[in-house]
Amino acid sequence: MSAIFKFEAEPETPQPVAVPERALISLEQITKVYDSGENEVQALRGINTGITAGEFVSIIGPSGSGKSTLMHILGCLDSPSAGRYWLDGEDVATLTSRELARIRNRKIGFVFQTFNLLPRATILKNVELPLLYAGLGREERQERAMKALERVGLNTRYKHRPNELSGGQRQRVAIARALVNNPSLILADEPTGNLDTKTGSDIIRIFEELSGAGQTIILVTHDPAIAARTQRRIRIVDGLIDASES
Amino acid sequence: MIIFESIIDGVRDIRDHFGRTMLQLVGIILGAASIVATFSLSTAGKAASMEFYRVSGGIQKMWVWNKPTGKVTLNAKALASKGLTYSDALAIRRYAREIDLVAPMASQSTVVRFGHVENTREVSGVTPEYAPLTDFHAGTGRFLTDSDVASAARVVVLGSERAQEFFGTDNPIGKTLTIGDTGYSVVGVMEEKYFSFDQKRNVLRWMNRQIYIPVTTLITRRGETLEHGKIDRMQTRMKSVKRSDEAVDEVSRILMREHGVKDYDVMSRVANLRRNEQNNKMYDMTFMVCGIISLLVGGIVVMNIQLASFNERVREVGTRKAVGASPAQIFFQFLSESVLVSVFGGLLGLFVGRLFTQAITSLINQPTVITMGTLVNAMIFAAGTGLLFGMYPAIRASRLDPIVALRTE
Repeated sequence: MSAIFKFEAEPETPQPVAVPERALISLEQITKVYDSGENEVQALRGINTGITAGEFVSIIGPSGSGKSTLMHILGCLDSPSAGRYWLDGEDVATLTSRELARIRNRKIGFVFQTFNLLPRATILKNVELPLLYAGLGREERQERAMKALERVGLNTRYKHRPNELSGGQRQRVAIARALVNNPSLILADEPTGNLDTKTGSDIIRIFEELSGAGQTIILVTHDPAIAARTQRRIRIVDGLIDASES
Repeated sequence: MIIFESIIDGVRDIRDHFGRTMLQLVGIILGAASIVATFSLSTAGKAASMEFYRVSGGIQKMWVWNKPTGKVTLNAKALASKGLTYSDALAIRRYAREIDLVAPMASQSTVVRFGHVENTREVSGVTPEYAPLTDFHAGTGRFLTDSDVASAARVVVLGSERAQEFFGTDNPIGKTLTIGDTGYSVVGVMEEKYFSFDQKRNVLRWMNRQIYIPVTTLITRRGETLEHGKIDRMQTRMKSVKRSDEAVDEVSRILMREHGVKDYDVMSRVANLRRNEQNNKMYDMTFMVCGIISLLVGGIVVMNIQLASFNERVREVGTRKAVGASPAQIFFQFLSESVLVSVFGGLLGLFVGRLFTQAITSLINQPTVITMGTLVNAMIFAAGTGLLFGMYPAIRASRLDPIVALRTE
């Protein structure tokens, strides 16, 4: 008892955080409840896990398992109903929508199943987009966007529009856009869902290369073959992590 | 930075959907155009009125007219009163503190002759004050002087048309013109007076047809004494426009003391001006309301198109939010598009307004003046419309939940 009082008497001392060393992400008792009128839906019922910087992790699970909800929370598109989410040393569970936008802008890169490129903008403009919202100047934006396009092998196509590219190329543009702000975390939601097996495999190879260079990647998929290529799998069943596989 | 990029996007949007944008802009264009037309008409109208007032003696001018009373019960003094007299003018000149010029005037139709030319013409008896009060001066020779009036001299000054009528191209000065049965020496010819609202009709042409002799000469020739000599009207000038009501009251009071009955009427140009301004305001308001209604309709169309464009672009908004666009950034992006479209419409409206005013000028001969202020006003109204009606779509876009947006097909 006396030890606890002594601890509370020094508010300046940083609270010890129960996260493993070098943990980029730590989820503590994350729940998400959707209140749809009379019946509440518990999408997540207490997720606890940690992801270390540099890991290449897949999140798998049947549809309706809460996989998408978890992805939205990890991507700071949504806030949990309860629990704590430490991202890069910051508790982002209780941030406002404006602060979440800033986190998405600086720390997270998204890759979507449907690419979500702006159809009227050039490839270069698409890749520049996160930097635009970060408030960077035109020259720096272009320079960094070109570097990101180089990493996915599309630097010669920067003047084209998305509809002039193949599906695989579009997804590589999306990866360049996710990379361009040097994010702590790349979050890919079924990135191969709209691609044929061969192209999808090429895309996963790009992720493997990025992972090899130390990039933290979380990949949401229902394809066991793709999940098998990641370092670790987190299986979600019924809003909880299935401990049988990890 | 974001605003700048949004403007580039907006310009691209206008270029890509030129036809649709034009339709969307009809209301804004008409609104801005009618504001331009209204302002240019009323600015020109006001300028023309002020110019007319200036060339015809300024806004300090007042008139005193004879006005027969309708009353039956009159006291002795009132019965004795025979309307405005020359001595009334002298009384006002002596007692009125708000007045600096008094010009009594009496007219009479008389046979006027020189050589073989003989016509019945109106002859006006005036004083030297008449010239500054009407801003009407001798072109050659001189106007009447105080000594002409004091001595009831037989001198005459002709309006330019009258000089031509009786003397043709000859110089009339020094010649003798017969008025009634008396010879008058021509001492001056007035400058030609011209003013037109429509560039066609000279509204002051009547002044060129005047024949002026000293008022005292006219009265005494008529066989009246100066004291009781009747005059038709007086023109007077107030010292200060700010004290116009006081000036009118003062002249009224002096005349009331002289006459004992209100058989005269005092009018000031300031009062006229006030009345005209009321009318002009009504007229301006009507046009302005038309313009504003056009802009409102235009604004609602802009809002609808923005909402439609927002619905088309829900995924785009979701994507922008996912990569870190804050609600405020999305809000400004949408708002700047609306404002841009409206400003574009406003600019076109300025050109259409210019065409309107040209049409007005050529069809009904009303002068129009487009000032910088008019253009700025029209642009402010157009941009304001975009700002106002762009607000709602921009708020909706900024509040969009990115998860819902990204899920939308």
